[in-house]
Amino acid sequence: MINTIAYGLTIGGILYIISIGLSLTFGTMRIVNFAHGLIYTIGAYFLITLLPIARDNFILGAVLAVLAVVPISYIIERFVVRKLYGVSIDYAIIATYAVVLIGVDLIKWIWGASPIPLSDPVGIDVAFLGITLPLYRLIIILLAVVIFIGLSIFFKKTMVGKIVTAALEDKDAVRSLGINVDKYFAYIFVMGSSLAALGGVLYAPITSVHPYMGSMVLLLSFAVVLVGGLGNIKGTFVAAFALGMVMSVTGRLWGPAAETMVFVVMGIVLIFKPIEV
Amino acid sequence: MLRVKNIDASYGHAKVLHAISLEVNSGEMVFIAGRNGAGKTTLLKSIAGFLTPSTGSITFDDSSIMGLPAEKIALSGIRYVFQDKRVFSQLSVKENLELAAYPVKVSTADAIQKVVSIYPKIEKFLNLRAGSLSGGQRQILLIGRALIGNPKLLLIDEPTEGLAAGTINDILNVLATMKGKVSMLIVEQNLSVVGMLADKVYMMKEGKIVQEITEKSEMTNKAKLEQCL
Repeated sequence: MINTIAYGLTIGGILYIISIGLSLTFGTMRIVNFAHGLIYTIGAYFLITLLPIARDNFILGAVLAVLAVVPISYIIERFVVRKLYGVSIDYAIIATYAVVLIGVDLIKWIWGASPIPLSDPVGIDVAFLGITLPLYRLIIILLAVVIFIGLSIFFKKTMVGKIVTAALEDKDAVRSLGINVDKYFAYIFVMGSSLAALGGVLYAPITSVHPYMGSMVLLLSFAVVLVGGLGNIKGTFVAAFALGMVMSVTGRLWGPAAETMVFVVMGIVLIFKPIEV
Repeated sequence: MLRVKNIDASYGHAKVLHAISLEVNSGEMVFIAGRNGAGKTTLLKSIAGFLTPSTGSITFDDSSIMGLPAEKIALSGIRYVFQDKRVFSQLSVKENLELAAYPVKVSTADAIQKVVSIYPKIEKFLNLRAGSLSGGQRQILLIGRALIGNPKLLLIDEPTEGLAAGTINDILNVLATMKGKVSMLIVEQNLSVVGMLADKVYMMKEGKIVQEITEKSEMTNKAKLEQCL
């Protein structure tokens, strides 16, 4: 059972790191960004390419992979997402899905379609309460908590954070003060995308890297965002770990239902707490 | 200062404003009165840059501002105080002021001082969440927030709407304190308020200005104003 909990927390940690960016962009820009899953995938592929350059130093490779994603996410924001502010949500779905299709084909062209395995970068197990757990998973859980605390401080203490918090509530009122909200949305988009890439980087050694790895994660992330609340940092944190646990426990009882149960929980939450988009 | 000439504005295919023209001169307090749906808020939104008129012109200090984004219009010296007392409820009162001070490069201390000078009681609420303020306090916070950076013109939408009589007096005192120091274009349905403070009144009906009133005796004649609606 402890193993199941540890697995649930790992999934929760990864889901949080990926979902928080989606939650912020969805919450501020009201953009349903399918390209978020692509960025997650690209992060993992960049890690594969950059690990040899980093002489197999995982931390350096991860940092380089996340940094390499920044210009790509900026291009997506500048030339696709920025054109979609204020227009119907349908256009955002179609446009960002088109980015995914183009991106996945490019990935297949550059890296091929076959899954690429990566080994555990830490390779150490820790034993407690009579079970052994990979240290790498504990690091992921810890990192998710550190990111949560860091983002909470960022949104409370920095001017960019306060502007985005205000814009989440009332974008036009922020503009009426003379603040170019779109500029700050671009920062948040790039920050959220970087976190998605970090999620891909961290999850790559646990699963195999393949061109479609972002699809299911994206759907799970949408579930986290809808359960946690748009742009709600604390809500997203709680929802990610709760749904990670739902996946883990359901997977232990009946494997094929693990992901389905996440959407069942999402449906139940939405019945009692519908959201306004 | 502000010259609006023959503007038309629409939401999709629904035309809301028809050939609207008005002027606000330096230091004037100008009111727009009219029933719900007359197009008053749409007119303010058109001036503030949240809606682009299809025809006509809007100039501010002899420069065209029509079609400029709202944030640029705000930085040019026009501040829009929205209807419905829309403070940033998740932020503290102090943070609301800090946010308004940031784009105009005013220190938070100076911003607070500015608002305290028009409404000293706000000093007690600085660390409270803006969402916890009463309707009147929110309205004063919004007006104070808009004053940071010394704008030349305030556009204020329904400042006394939904407020109790005592609170309305607080708002009127604040507006009276500002009179002559900053130009104001105020949408207001309460004709008693209009009569007390206005230098000029535009009466709106069905998206058109039906009368411009500049005589004080006519402005204070509530029955006469109601006839125009």
